[in-house]
Amino acid sequence: MIAEEPKTKNVYEREDLLTGCQAVSQGVRLADVDVIAAYPIRPYTEVMDALSKIIADGELDAEYIIADSEHSQFEIVKHASSVNARAFAGSSGTGWCYGFEALVVTATDRLPVLFLVGNRALDDPGAFGVEHNDAMAVRDMGWLLAWVTTPQEALEHVLIGYRIAEDKRVRMPMALAMDGAFLTHSQHMVKIPTAEAVRQFLPPYDLGEGRLHPDNPISIAPQVNEDWVMELRRQNWDAARRARGVIKEAYREFNAVFGERYSSPFFTEFMTDDADTVLIGLGTVCAPGRTACKRLREKGHKVGFVSLRWFRPFPTIELRESLKRFKAVGVIDRDFAHGSPDDGGIVMHEVRSALYPLKNRPAITNIITGLGGRDVSIDDCIRMYEIAQKSKTEDKLDNFVTWIGVRE
Amino acid sequence: MIKRVEINYRGIFQKNLGKKIGSDIVIIASRMGRIGFSNGRYSDSPERNGIPCKYFAFVSHDLSEEELEAECGAKLDIDQCDISVVLDDTMLKGVEPWGWHGVRPINEKVQPNGTLLVVTKRTPDELLEFIAKKPYSWKLATYSGDLSFGGLWVFRDDLTHEKTLGAVAGIDSDIIGIEAAEGYLRYKTPKEPARAEAARLAYEEVRKTVRTVKPGEGVEWKHEIPVLPKWFEFMEGAAVPAVKREFSLGPKGQSRNETFKRGTTKNQRPVVRFDLCTKCTLCWLECPDQCFDQTDDGLYDIAYEYCTGCNKCAQACPVKECIVMVDELQFTDDSSPWEAYKANPEKYTEWAEDRKSTGRYIHPMVTGTGLEFLEGELVPFGGKRASPKK
Ligand code: SF4
Ligand code: SF4
Repeated sequence: MIAEEPKTKNVYEREDLLTGCQAVSQGVRLADVDVIAAYPIRPYTEVMDALSKIIADGELDAEYIIADSEHSQFEIVKHASSVNARAFAGSSGTGWCYGFEALVVTATDRLPVLFLVGNRALDDPGAFGVEHNDAMAVRDMGWLLAWVTTPQEALEHVLIGYRIAEDKRVRMPMALAMDGAFLTHSQHMVKIPTAEAVRQFLPPYDLGEGRLHPDNPISIAPQVNEDWVMELRRQNWDAARRARGVIKEAYREFNAVFGERYSSPFFTEFMTDDADTVLIGLGTVCAPGRTACKRLREKGHKVGFVSLRWFRPFPTIELRESLKRFKAVGVIDRDFAHGSPDDGGIVMHEVRSALYPLKNRPAITNIITGLGGRDVSIDDCIRMYEIAQKSKTEDKLDNFVTWIGVRE
Repeated sequence: MIKRVEINYRGIFQKNLGKKIGSDIVIIASRMGRIGFSNGRYSDSPERNGIPCKYFAFVSHDLSEEELEAECGAKLDIDQCDISVVLDDTMLKGVEPWGWHGVRPINEKVQPNGTLLVVTKRTPDELLEFIAKKPYSWKLATYSGDLSFGGLWVFRDDLTHEKTLGAVAGIDSDIIGIEAAEGYLRYKTPKEPARAEAARLAYEEVRKTVRTVKPGEGVEWKHEIPVLPKWFEFMEGAAVPAVKREFSLGPKGQSRNETFKRGTTKNQRPVVRFDLCTKCTLCWLECPDQCFDQTDDGLYDIAYEYCTGCNKCAQACPVKECIVMVDELQFTDDSSPWEAYKANPEKYTEWAEDRKSTGRYIHPMVTGTGLEFLEGELVPFGGKRASPKK
């Protein structure tokens, strides 16, 4: 919902019923992207359908290149980005993984392409449902990585994403992740910003001295020996650290143009003010999570929900400061990390690691759920709260991880 | 309060139709100040021709969008619905959208006093010969229309979309109102009054056809619904038991996969005139689903439960009037046609000719072509073979 009237008048031109994928394609149109590479895989595919129509209808002037695979698709946009073209691509599941070689070098080459990852289970078995491991695969590679939860947020994060990715202090590719089916294919009413408002927020893409052009002779990614790699990594490390500040700036600016859309950049808290137990999770699980929270509040339970948006860079300080207020934190993972410490999921490890320096840490418990697109219901979330509440007093060493929704 | 509408459509052929109906329910509801959203459910992918699929539209007058989403959106299928729309009446025989799912009754999700809303040329009574009985009373309503198939991925603009909006309004104005539906259609296509009129006509029609179906009315559902194994109950390594290839002459002579029969994919089935058959083997060779069983007399029986109605055998058969595709609702069981023929060749042939009749249609498999209506030829038993196919 739009919380406050925006300062600029008429920032929205119309309202339309859009799926998550269609909303992204509207974001791409508004960002005036120059080069799009496409290769189909569900559930990402709908974005390429929608974009080809937008181009055919004359609403966007862009090169639309159909690649012969994800690998080529990602290489095409990487190269386009290096010659100062704003570029877009995307994929899902194993398609995303098939292009991994290109994904890794895009980050090292510091080319700020924006990719949609319509989260999908990693085949085998052939499955379409959401799981976050596909997008998570780039988390340590020098990528920006964030999850959105509604089509409105999806559209807006194409704009926010480009702005952060292309910032001189950042220059990192951006993976915009969204839950397959539950968001990619769910149609909601979306407010579509005017081109004028977008211009106020998103400056044109300018690679400056990094632009590959005969007038600006540079060579990107030459073969190097052991003399160079570590220094390159150090640059990337620094950029990822700087990105946190740039993200905050971007949301401030976004709110200034579009009204108070986002209360905080990295995560959104719900009913946390006097909470003693919270759940935290990525993606659309926030809908049943927050609804369960409301129901438990009606019964007097002091519970809250934290919807995590940014995963890379990880909001270490902000999340630490937030979560230290609570007695128990239940971390929801729609992913797996088999054989990891305590056999927990990826998000749990990151949250727990962020909390480690605290002297008085909240009790942490881990819930693995919703894998391969399995439903996560309001009742499931109520159970998660109960488990998290118990962890305050119970010794959780033996069953630190609970699977919810698995047939057992 | 939540209103749930389920839209059953045939994969690919009606995908855009189903989606448009779901979208427009939400748009009309939001023009009325209600909250709504729409989503779909995957079926055997990539929505193979004819596979039964679903779109959903959810509407509420009082919930926030997020709560509506939490109740309805984060799910693959719904538990129950106020209205279940059926865009091809042959789906009344059951729907099997994917493997290990079973053939489910079309009205499975219709809640007490909910409505099954069917576009058809048949009467509710005729339809009830196929629909499963329920322990509670529910409603059945029909509105008339041709099968709306426009080819792969193609939306056929034949007013089925508008009629369905009107029909939904006619059943439950808490989902969308007829004035709002008409207003929206007039606003979208001001120069095409036929659209709003079609909605109004269907609105009035369903209010006349709607009837209560009493508990126990309908057919006994014979298909078993599988129970999926627990995580520790099946083989590791993403492997499931397959079917050992076995073969013997005669009906059902080939071993087949019990967990995904796919027969509900068809809306027409091939009827064979065994007396005209030259035993050329082409149907048996061409069928992509290996539905033809060799018999000891050189004829080929058909396992209808596995037939997806793709029309290939009818196209391949070189003998005119020997294999003809016939509307699936003309049949009440999947028993062996060869056995019926062997038991009484004359009677079987008479029955087959009666099913076939002379009015034929072929639904499009190719983008952009519409339904093709053809005139067939009746060939009496013992009569001369019809002239060879052109
Ligand atoms: S229509 Fe004919 S070819 Fe197609 S599946 Fe059925 S029996 Fe086989
Ligand atoms: S294709 Fe026709 S003629 Fe040939 S075996 Fe099959 S039914 Fe008989």
